[in-house]
Amino acid sequence: MTDSRSYLAIFADIDPASYALDRLRELGLSDEQMNVISGIPVTEAMLGRPRQWTNVPRLALGGAVGGFLLGAFLAFVAPVMYPIHVGGQGILPGAPSVVVLFELTMLGMLAATFLGIFLDSRYPSYTPKEYVPEISDGRIAILFECPAEKENKFIEAMQAIGAESVKPAEAQKL
Amino acid sequence: MSELNNPQSKPKLKETEQGKWGLVVDQDLCTGCQACVVACAMENNIPFVGEEDAAYGRAMHWIRIERFWEGEYLEVKSTPFQPVMCQQCGAAPCEPVCPVFASVHSESEQVNSQVYNRCVGTRYCANNCPYVARTFNWRDYTRPEPLNNQLNPDVTVRRRGVMEKCTFCIQRIRKVEDKAKSEVREVADGEVQPACVQACPANALIFGRVDDPESNVSRASFSGRAVELLEELGTKPRVTYLKGGSEYARNA
Amino acid sequence: MPAMHNTTEQHEIEHLRQEHLMLDPRPRGEMNSMVMDAMLTTSWKFWVVFAVLSVVVAICLFYTWGYLIAEGTGVAGLTNPVYWGIFLVNTVFWIGISHAGTFVSALLRVFKAEYRRPFTRAAELMTTFGLAQAALSVFMHMGRVWLSYWLFPYPNERALWPNFHSPLSWDFLAINTYLLGSTMYLFMPLIPDLAMARDRSTGWRKTFYRILSLGFRGTEGEWTHLRAAMNIFAFAILPVMFSVHTIVSWDFAAAMRPGWNSTIFGPYFVVGALHSGIAAVAMVLVVIRSTVKNMKYFLRAEHFGALGMLMLIVSMGWAYFFFNDYMVQWYGGNKFTDALLHFHEKGPTDWMWFAMLILNVAIPWLTLWSKKIRSSPWALFFIGLGINIGMWFERFIIIPTSLAINFMPFTWRTYKPGVEIPLSIGTLAFFVLLYMAASRLVPLVPVWEVQEGQLAHTLRKVGKETIVSVAEME
Repeated sequence: MTDSRSYLAIFADIDPASYALDRLRELGLSDEQMNVISGIPVTEAMLGRPRQWTNVPRLALGGAVGGFLLGAFLAFVAPVMYPIHVGGQGILPGAPSVVVLFELTMLGMLAATFLGIFLDSRYPSYTPKEYVPEISDGRIAILFECPAEKENKFIEAMQAIGAESVKPAEAQKL
Repeated sequence: MSELNNPQSKPKLKETEQGKWGLVVDQDLCTGCQACVVACAMENNIPFVGEEDAAYGRAMHWIRIERFWEGEYLEVKSTPFQPVMCQQCGAAPCEPVCPVFASVHSESEQVNSQVYNRCVGTRYCANNCPYVARTFNWRDYTRPEPLNNQLNPDVTVRRRGVMEKCTFCIQRIRKVEDKAKSEVREVADGEVQPACVQACPANALIFGRVDDPESNVSRASFSGRAVELLEELGTKPRVTYLKGGSEYARNA
Repeated sequence: MPAMHNTTEQHEIEHLRQEHLMLDPRPRGEMNSMVMDAMLTTSWKFWVVFAVLSVVVAICLFYTWGYLIAEGTGVAGLTNPVYWGIFLVNTVFWIGISHAGTFVSALLRVFKAEYRRPFTRAAELMTTFGLAQAALSVFMHMGRVWLSYWLFPYPNERALWPNFHSPLSWDFLAINTYLLGSTMYLFMPLIPDLAMARDRSTGWRKTFYRILSLGFRGTEGEWTHLRAAMNIFAFAILPVMFSVHTIVSWDFAAAMRPGWNSTIFGPYFVVGALHSGIAAVAMVLVVIRSTVKNMKYFLRAEHFGALGMLMLIVSMGWAYFFFNDYMVQWYGGNKFTDALLHFHEKGPTDWMWFAMLILNVAIPWLTLWSKKIRSSPWALFFIGLGINIGMWFERFIIIPTSLAINFMPFTWRTYKPGVEIPLSIGTLAFFVLLYMAASRLVPLVPVWEVQEGQLAHTLRKVGKETIVSVAEME
């Protein structure tokens, strides 16, 4: 296996960044060997990137189901387990059960969505990562892996398109 | 429908929505002496709230005597005295609103039970009671010596933050039922007497089993003078008031 | 866009740029440092106010609350039959304020109202701190607050679950769902800004932001997950927001009392919450704009104009629901409802009833139609203050004033507040105190959202007019 190194090419705007990604593909890199790190969310369509996977909607649905089951337990099972008669109303009241089911379904959905971010993005993560602070100042960085012997070619290509800087990516504490 | 408004048809209604224990208050006999109020306070360890709190409406009597009047002495027009206590409703509005099940319906005695040690003091039940029959322990009221010797050992003493109300002297009901059980006999009609019933000098209060059509209380409630307080609200109270005086005497 | 403009066009463009934040982009680095500067620059006046508020909170809130718990609810003005008083008024008031945050960050996001971008975080902070005060007020009103955990459903040896027939149990579920939901919704878009703060801080702040930003970098994956979650939240938290104040209204509407047992209470309370909430957002933004550094760039007349327009529309909605409720009660002729309406209009709190109508309806309708008044921050502040006072009066009339009248006239009695007054002042001071503390610790403006919006806005010439064009970037 040839030696490969990671580089961070930093661009000031979306247009040069998308040309750069095309150029990297021309130079033989696959989509998995490139990653875009940016200070604002740039859609995949703008950069010509493949659609990202995310489990968050599925987790949200699962959370809603979980919340619904908890609500169903509290509304339909708990009163039957320990029946207490109040106010001449039945043991399983219809309208109040709807309220309980709704609230717990929503809580389950929201909590699962939130925790889904943690799960999918592997938060919290405090290990050293490839990053430069300029990114949060609005730069768009392309993190790519290139074979060690061709690195000059890649660096020149990036600079030709207008990269502000092309540096070896060092994993540093954020 | 007009049949239901006929006073003679009241017994029919009683059978479908009856409870077990019931009370009849005869307003034509009540003299407003408040012996029932005092007896209830003594029997049930009701605290003395002091002058200031009582003036602000925080007196904790489980039964109160209501009266309305207009005019000045000697020309005073007034309503009959109306003793009001917890009506032990069959469809009690105080029960579904308690978030912790501190106000529940007793299946065995068909009265409304207030569970003191479960109450967390949200006071929704008191807001929802149309008869304003519930009182709240706003503070820890103390009994200076030697008044603490007067406490009834059969009844809990409530601490601050807890709601309370008339229980139809459930401790007396229990005591009589236990005695009857140990003597292997039925409870006789009139054997159970809550403190207010026992104390009334005018015999204006009658207590007993409303599911037994032969008991004193049932027969009194079949009278043409019988009404229920706030009947239109549908709370199915177990307390019947007799009033109307001589106009209805020939139907009694 | 054509490269050459004549002078009139240039004036037009310059004017548009000054008016609209979205057309006035600055480099992200500059905006970042403006927001960081705003957070880090603190004048001595801030600390004086902070110290005074801390003393007020210590005495009026914590000490008085301890006294209330030790002595019992008797030190409050509650009595038979007014079992609920200012504590519940404050609870409903603060929940109403908290709806503003969700309205701004979720509803305006769903409707793609671009002007929301600079102040969603300021509004969401109001939600979290407002709900904290609402929770405190609920705990204050309970007789045995040390047992309040019994409202939580958990298996126990007493074989008791909470009573879900009770609107208070629904309240418990709904308010907790809303509190957790809106705190999560506050935190999610905050993560990228915390990462920015981490990159620009040193010392204890850097450690603080590093821990809270969870290792965020801005990779495609991270943005995708974050944006998917924010979209779900924006849509999902709206029904929760509507359900919360509806359920709070059912505490009253489900009760068997004249004046309370009204089917209109659900939407009436929701619109009332938005009324006081949006007014409160306007007030907070006016204060932020004039006291925090650099905020005059982010918060412009256009934002206050938009908020003023919303306040006018919601005021009309509130008037519609109030009149609906009033008209049906007045027409019915039920003697208890009649006595209640008479008590509202001619009883000891009649001044509150009239003030409510003037502050909630008359003043907004007479002033907010004018764009000039709407866009002036301090005019909006005082109109908003009036609306908040009017809405507090509305809740006072609904709770203690209406509880004085019931089905047994022998028991009718007026309410005289006791220890509730210092406790109310304490919760207000605590709200401001928490907000001031947050303004030093959390970037007040979501810069990444502002930049996102600025990228989407361009100027386009259509015929002879230069107009603003917004792209759908999602």
